[in-house]
Formats: sequence, structure tokens, C-alpha cells
Amino acid sequence: MIELTGEVLVAVVGLSGGFAVGSAFVALLIVLDIVPRLVQLARAHRRSAIFESALLAGVIGFNCADMFDWRLSLAKGWLLAPAILQGIFVGMLAAALTEVLNVIPIVAKRLQLGRYLFYLLLAMVLGKVAGSLADWLLFQQMHQ
Amino acid sequence: MVLHEAARPLKGARPFCVPGMEVLDGRPDLRLKRIGCPSLPHTTRKRSLEVWRLDAGIVYLRLRRRVVVPPGALIKLGDIASIETDRRYADKIRELTVWKMRPEDGNLLMIDMLQIVRLIRRLEPSLTVETFGEPHVLLETSPEGKIKPRYALLVAAWLLLFFGSGMAIMNFHADVDMPVVQRRIIELLTGRPDRHAWLFEVPYSIGVGLGMLIFFNRVFRKRLNDEPNPLEVEMFMYQESVNRYVITEEYAKTRQREDGPDD
Repeated sequence: MIELTGEVLVAVVGLSGGFAVGSAFVALLIVLDIVPRLVQLARAHRRSAIFESALLAGVIGFNCADMFDWRLSLAKGWLLAPAILQGIFVGMLAAALTEVLNVIPIVAKRLQLGRYLFYLLLAMVLGKVAGSLADWLLFQQMHQ
Repeated sequence: MVLHEAARPLKGARPFCVPGMEVLDGRPDLRLKRIGCPSLPHTTRKRSLEVWRLDAGIVYLRLRRRVVVPPGALIKLGDIASIETDRRYADKIRELTVWKMRPEDGNLLMIDMLQIVRLIRRLEPSLTVETFGEPHVLLETSPEGKIKPRYALLVAAWLLLFFGSGMAIMNFHADVDMPVVQRRIIELLTGRPDRHAWLFEVPYSIGVGLGMLIFFNRVFRKRLNDEPNPLEVEMFMYQESVNRYVITEEYAKTRQREDGPDD
């Protein structure tokens, strides 16, 4: 009896934990304006269902694959697709985060560099790329 | 001179001189009829001028926010505004050419209400223009005059969100060490670790999906209620901000054009 109660409680905790994570996840992506930007690029106003389905499928699919250890035996070349797309996604996240925090406009205004906004952006982009490459190719190798 | 122009009677409208006000039934446009006779004192004449203008007619205008037009299109006032006016000039005003799209206008162009008022006054100086809503309209050029989604980019965006959100959730699990927490919760609740991990994992996975669906306010095709979901609101806000930016920029450009280049 006690065992059964415990098991039911585990399920309840799991369900509510999932609830919290799922809605927080979407809220973060929406606050960061990533989806509206993609909608604008694809000129797909009033088709938000498409973008919602992408988020939902991605989260649930990868969540299950992660937890239940779903394995596919694909050739190495297939890695290219997730690698590029996930790289772009993280890049967008990083850019959106700096944008929400208003870093660049404030720096440009304080230092009166508004004219060089593009070069400031470029510096940030190059810095991120260089940092990522250095991290993967140098530091992570050293740790192993 | 101005007085004379404004008080010019309309073609077809028969002015007649009545002391005081008179109500003519059945003709709402002619309800107030009073004209300034030369013998009347100045103030009366001034007021009678206003009455004249009332009689001459009012155009009620509401500009649309954003209109999509094909390149090179001839923009009629009826295309960009809802118009309510006397039947006498409704067609003339609707057919008024506001602008001809040129390639150098780019794909976003703002038309200011003042431009339109100027056109209407040139057509019929006695008309009064009453405006509602936005004082400007954005014209967006697109082939065939409607916006088609870019399907290749749409597919790319779908894949991007799919893989991106998948990786983000796995990153999150790794970041907070979810398996350890899971085992701990099971241990705390059932007294034994490492039993029935799926009991936590299955409801958790369902919960993630449900949480997102509730946030999106829909179950697949079917909406839970009429309220827009936060994504749609955010998309709307984004579009509004873009519009506002474009309008401000266009105003600055217009001012520069009128004042000549500064510096």
C-alpha cells in the first residue's frame, strides 16, 4: 500500500515537473523573440501552428530519445544536419540574449560608437566563433 | 481670398439665403443651411462660413495599417483607406490617385495622412476631412500584391527549431543533472533507488508536452479558446515594433527631403 502510494507520487512529481519545464522552455524561447524573427524571415504570418509543431516535436522527440535511450545507427554524415542547425540555434539564442539585455545599444551610446554598430556586432560574432572553436579544439582536448 | 475659396459653393448645390437656421427634412447633407449675406455683421458671416463648410460635406477617412501592393501599382485612395462621405463625391475620392509605386521606393513606403488631405483639398477645397485611426499607411510591395511564404525558409526554420529545441532540452537535463535528481526523488518517495525509473520518466515526458501545449493554448488544430497565445501576441508586438520603426524612419526621410539634406 505504502509502496503504491510512493509510486503514484513519483508519477505525480514527474508529471508536474514536466509541466514546469515544458512551459518555462517555451516562455524563454518566446521572450527571446526567436520565433517571431523566424516567422518574419519565412513570411509566414498567421501560421504559428507550424512553428509550434516544430518546437513540440523537437522537445518531445529528443526528450524521449534522451531518457529512453532510443538509438539510431546512421552514418556519420548525418551528423552534419543537427550540427549546423543546432549551431545556428545556439547562435540565435546568444544573439537574442544580448539583444534582450540591450548590451550593444548601451555600449554604443555610452561610448558614442553608434556609427560603428555593425563592427561591434561583427566583433561579437567573430569572438563567439573563435571562442567556440578554441573551446572544442583546444581546451576540451586538453581535459581528456 | 481664402474666405472666398472656402466659401465657394459646390457645383449642383443650390445656395439660398435664409435668415437663421432651417432644417430641411430628408436631406441629411442639407440639414444646416445658412449662408452669409453681405449685409450680415462680420461674426455672423464667419459662422455662416463654418456652416457652409458643413454643408459642403465631410469626408471621414480611416487609413489601413499596412497594405500589400504589386510593384509599379497605381495606388488609389480607395485601396488604402475606408471612406465614408456624401454620395456626390464618394467615387471621385475613392478613385483619387495617391501614388505610383516606383522601384526606388523600396519595398516599404509610408504615405502620410497630410499628403492625402492635400490631395482631397486640391480635388475639392470645400471638403472637410475627418480622420480616424493611424495617420499613416505602410505600403509593402510584393509580386502579385500578396505575401507568399518562403517555403524553403519555412522548412529550414522548422528543422532549426526542431533540432534546436531538442538539443536545448537535453542540455538542460545535463545541466541540472536530471538522472541524479530522478533517482533521488524515487528514493525519497518509494524508499528504494533505481526502481521503476520509467515511472518518473513517462509522466515527465508527457508533462513537458502538455506544458507546452497549454502555453500555446491549443491541442493541435483545435484551440482551447479564442484568446491569442503568447507566441501570437509576441509576433504581433514584433510586427508592431517593426512598423513603428519604419514609420519613424520614413518621417525622418520625408523631413530631410523637404528641408534639403542637412549638415
